[in-house]
Amino acid sequence: MPQLNAIKAYRRDMEDVVTSWALDDLLLLYHHRSGQTHMVISPVPEILAQMADGAVLGAADLHDRLARDFDLGPRADALAEIGAHLDALVALGLVRPA
Amino acid sequence: MRHATTLRIGPATFRIGSAWPQPIADLSRLYAAYPAMTGAIADFTVRLQPTSLMRRFVRPSIFITGDHGLADAAPMSLSHGLLAAEMGMNLQMALGWRRHLLLHASSVEKDGRALVMTGESGSGKSTLAALLSERGWRLMGDEFALLDLETGAILPFPRLVSLKNRAIDVVAGQVGDARMGPLLRATAKGDIRHMVPRADAVARMDQGAMPALLLFPRFGHDDDVRLVGQGEIFMRLTQASTNYVALGEPAFAGLTRFVTGVPARAIDFPSGEAAIAMVERLWEELA
Repeated sequence: MPQLNAIKAYRRDMEDVVTSWALDDLLLLYHHRSGQTHMVISPVPEILAQMADGAVLGAADLHDRLARDFDLGPRADALAEIGAHLDALVALGLVRPA
Repeated sequence: MRHATTLRIGPATFRIGSAWPQPIADLSRLYAAYPAMTGAIADFTVRLQPTSLMRRFVRPSIFITGDHGLADAAPMSLSHGLLAAEMGMNLQMALGWRRHLLLHASSVEKDGRALVMTGESGSGKSTLAALLSERGWRLMGDEFALLDLETGAILPFPRLVSLKNRAIDVVAGQVGDARMGPLLRATAKGDIRHMVPRADAVARMDQGAMPALLLFPRFGHDDDVRLVGQGEIFMRLTQASTNYVALGEPAFAGLTRFVTGVPARAIDFPSGEAAIAMVERLWEELA
């Protein structure tokens, strides 16, 4: 288990690819590598979409990418929330520490 | 095993062996109309054996085992031997079946389309399937609905219908004693009595049907019909499936297709008659 609060940068690669399926207002993700199905709601799909190019990103980079399309509110709060989501995604194996 | 029989139920063949004659005699009577499978190679073996050699004679207790076993399965009284055999078959299916997505649900068919009903033990899904099958519907199964991941069809698994407690008299009064098994008193789930499906359910047990309506029944409450969100449906169906994870991505694709394509409602009802009226109405409106 990585030290989650120590991770500064994150990335997705081909092995983290998921098949997704929208049901009402949530999204199902089938993770090929683990065979697990995850049920997620916004902003997780948006975060994963911004990482689809495989770039190494910190929470601040992701914030800036997301801010192009969404009103994220106060920067400090949004950064903390994005960071928490990223660490949760690392724990699920959908995103890895860079 | 000293006593044995081979049964085919839908796509699955079981060889059931027993140290005692009575469970096999009960099975042979109740499954008499099912295809004769003497000498066939079985998908699963179920063994009903004594917990110890002495226990075969002194207060006999049955230990259920087979190809797949549960380490902590509790021994049962020999007087519940038929139930042990049925539970053994369920256990093998739940732990070992890989050809279809297994949903813990009852299902009935009308006009070539299937109604699927899922819920916990005691929800009324078995009773409802039994009552509907006496009113123009074809019973496909009371315990497992098999979802074919290639076609999206529901395939039958019409074993004996397991009726509990108050449902026993309601159903037995309608089908008659000839189609009922022995009354098994004071099992872990209360009193249980098995019902033999009608002849058409057995004759057509290889014919699937496309699902047209999914219901989450709940017995013992005032009449109510509620919409259920697709996310909740998906979650409840994965919980109601014993092999969703084992089947991998085809199960994901098949189940999402099912959830997206089949209308669903949660229904509460105070009695079997109220439930049947509700089901017939929803079938007309939605299926």
